[in-house]
Amino acid sequence: MAKLDHRVKGVDHAAFPIFDIGNDDRIAFFYYFGTEPLNQTGRGDAYAAFGPEVPTYFIRSRHLAIHVDGYEDLMEYRRRLDDSQWPVEMQIQHETIESIYTHDPNGYMVEITRAMRPVTPQEDLDANLTIDALLDVVTEPDPSLAKLLARKAELIVERAAQWELERTGP
Amino acid sequence: MTTLYVLDVPENTGVAKVAAEDPAVSVGRIGPYFEITASGAITIDRRATGCRHAVWYSAVAGVARDSRITQHDKNALRVEPA
Repeated sequence: MAKLDHRVKGVDHAAFPIFDIGNDDRIAFFYYFGTEPLNQTGRGDAYAAFGPEVPTYFIRSRHLAIHVDGYEDLMEYRRRLDDSQWPVEMQIQHETIESIYTHDPNGYMVEITRAMRPVTPQEDLDANLTIDALLDVVTEPDPSLAKLLARKAELIVERAAQWELERTGP
Repeated sequence: MTTLYVLDVPENTGVAKVAAEDPAVSVGRIGPYFEITASGAITIDRRATGCRHAVWYSAVAGVARDSRITQHDKNALRVEPA
C-alpha cells in the first residue's frame, strides 16, 4: 500500500491565541503572512471592502468595545493612542457612556468606553426582557421592531411588578 | 387605548414628565417601568424632555399590541391606537 504523501504547503495563517484583556476576557488576533492590505476603497477595513449598497451605519456597527473603570483611565488610553500612529478619531459622550474611537492597523474600529453611572438593577431586568422578547419574535414570520416592542410590553405586564416585589421584599 | 412603557432610569424621567403634562395622558407604574396611557394618541416632544439622541431612541421599552408608533424622530415620539 502506497504511503500517503504530505500535501500541506506550509503555514497559511497563525492565530495568536489568546491575549488576556483582563477580567478573564480574551481576544484573538489573526496574522496572514505575506498579505498586503488589499482594500483601497476607503469603505471597510484594510482587507475587505463594502460596496455602495452597504449602509454606513452597518459598517460602523462592526467594532470591538472594551470598557474601563472611569474617566481617568479613559483619558490615559486617549493619551497613549494620541502618542501612537493610531490617534483618537472621536470622543463622544452618549449620555450614559463616554467613548473614544480609533481604527487599528487592520482598519477595524476599536472603542474604549466608560460608564457615566453604574448599571441599575432594572436595566438588567429590561435587558433580559428584551432578549426574551427577541427570541420569541424571531421564531415567528417577519420579525420587526414593532413586534419586538409588542412582545416586550406583554412581558413587562407579566413580570415587572413581580420582579419589583421580589427585590424590595414584603 | 394607547399604552407605552418606559424604563424608570434617570435619563428617562423627562420622557414620563413631559408625557404627563398632557391632561389626556396618564402616567402610572408597573414594576420599574412607567406605564403611559391615553384613550387617543400620546405625543412627546423630544426637546421638552431634554433627551439627546442616544437615550431618546432607546427610551421605548414596550408598546402594547393595540398601539403603534407612528412617529419616532428627532422631534417627537407619537404612539396611536393601532
